[in-house]
Amino acid sequence: MIRFIISRVVRAALTIFFVMTFSFIVLRLSGDPALIIMSPDAPPEAIIAFRKAWGLDDPIWLQYFHYFGAVLQGELGRSMRDGRSALVIVGERIPATLLLMVPALMLKVGIGIPAGVYAALHRNSRIDRLVMSFAVFGFTVPSFVLALVLVLVFSVGLGWLPTSGADSWRHAILPVITLGIGGAAVLARFTRSAMLEILGQPYIRTASAKGLKWSAVVRGHALPNAAIPTITVLGFMVGSLLAGAVVVESVFAWPGVGRLLVVCVSNRDLSVVQVILLLVASTMVCANFLVDLAYGLFDPRIRQAPRGAGQ
Amino acid sequence: MTQPTDKAVTDSAEGLMPLAHDRLNAQPFPLSVSVAIFWLSFMCFVAVVGPSLMPYAFTAIDLKARLSLPFTSLHWLGTDELGRDVFSRLVISIRISLLVSFVATIISATFGTLLGFLAAHYRGWVEQTVLILADFQASIPFLIFALAVLAFFGNTLTLFILLMGIYGWERYARIARGLAIAANSQGYAAAVRQLGASPIRIYLGHILPNTASTLIVSMTLVFPEIILLESGLSFLGLGVQPPMTSLGNMVGYGREYLTRAPWILLAPATTIVLTTLSVSILGDWLRDRLDPTLK
Repeated sequence: MIRFIISRVVRAALTIFFVMTFSFIVLRLSGDPALIIMSPDAPPEAIIAFRKAWGLDDPIWLQYFHYFGAVLQGELGRSMRDGRSALVIVGERIPATLLLMVPALMLKVGIGIPAGVYAALHRNSRIDRLVMSFAVFGFTVPSFVLALVLVLVFSVGLGWLPTSGADSWRHAILPVITLGIGGAAVLARFTRSAMLEILGQPYIRTASAKGLKWSAVVRGHALPNAAIPTITVLGFMVGSLLAGAVVVESVFAWPGVGRLLVVCVSNRDLSVVQVILLLVASTMVCANFLVDLAYGLFDPRIRQAPRGAGQ
Repeated sequence: MTQPTDKAVTDSAEGLMPLAHDRLNAQPFPLSVSVAIFWLSFMCFVAVVGPSLMPYAFTAIDLKARLSLPFTSLHWLGTDELGRDVFSRLVISIRISLLVSFVATIISATFGTLLGFLAAHYRGWVEQTVLILADFQASIPFLIFALAVLAFFGNTLTLFILLMGIYGWERYARIARGLAIAANSQGYAAAVRQLGASPIRIYLGHILPNTASTLIVSMTLVFPEIILLESGLSFLGLGVQPPMTSLGNMVGYGREYLTRAPWILLAPATTIVLTTLSVSILGDWLRDRLDPTLK
């Protein structure tokens, strides 16, 4: 088990390292930061002084080294718009995003998993078909279309809910529903196919042949095994908590991380984009790490597998 | 993060394909699949010959006919806030969106398959590098990755298509690697190798045709996701840039007139949904027929 954890930690660290390298490379490739931050008609001496102050005239490997040091100390630069710390700017937006994403996640899990399990247990029934059609629609309707249809019906047509903004809890209802429906559909589809695969296994037949009640077979044998692939999808959803609402936040003018990202991409406020990129990647890596640990707990085969077999 | 498809693909690679092929011929098309095929053919037809059917140039502004209602003889689908004909814009949007998605799917499939074959051929550190890169790609939500690249490099149509072409490569790479490793241990690959065929010939002439059905099914699964990604980015104003237009673009700009002129965005939104729905139905059906283990 210890070896298993170590290999996962190494892999997580490697991914973070890749993300940092990626953002370093694109930051440097995208042009001279001195010219981007200072105005193009700044005096040449000022630009030289700026380069010296920020270490931009060092060799590239030294810059790379310094960049790592700075990131590890939490110095992620300042916004090119108002000079505030990029980390603070992003940090301010996180609560608003979580306010949407956490209820949406509960909605996804609360609807998606039971619907998927039920559909698999009653395969080809009317409810199964209903769940699957719902899942296909949830899968193929883009979130912005769903959001706009909801606005058209509930805000414009019926006048029950506000169209956009973040002034009260009523403003959160439509975005949460938009996020929840799409995610629930994905989860239902995935849970169903995971369940169906397990239900076709010989050990399920053995379990019911030896006289176990069907409910006990499902609870004791089918559900734990079907949980393993479902956890992967769930891990991805938890990992994208911070950035999974880019489109929906934009539609509803919700002041979260996703909307900040879109605005900063249009303004080319690179340091803020970079902070979001690092933050999202770290959340994702942590979530994946937890998923791997959960695998190990659920499935002894994985933690005992020899090195390399997990690929 | 290991994808569940990985193992399933390796298992299914042996002996399943000829049988699946017979079944494909034996069964008639279900109604939903026929409708899906019809819709996709219609979309391709519009994309190819559409511009000659357009009643107006898609950028033609007519300020006297702003926000005019749909279903009139002058403007079948109405006009937008600048009096531009929604039908004409829809035709061009379908063309651009399909072009971006097609080219991107082909780039991503080619690139991913190539890396997967390289990993299977060389093994060792090449394989490890490809797998680590695939892990890296799978661990970042692609939308965030795409936004970061667009922020850093600015946006042109070529760059945008190339960026979309990165989407999904890791899935092809994993699948192609699994299939090629399985194929290499089979008789036919060893036989051609013994006959002295070059690796390029073995992979392109023998392994690729034998693994094509699985890769094609993967393409039909990735394609609707690329349409959604393209339209999502364009909707945010960060994809295809004006004066060019795409389906997501039309929805994004039409949003401002949601209450006064919902027809501006309803036509492209319906098109997006019907198209992704059709490709998904077709892809699911193909998958069930060609390769039931790939989920």
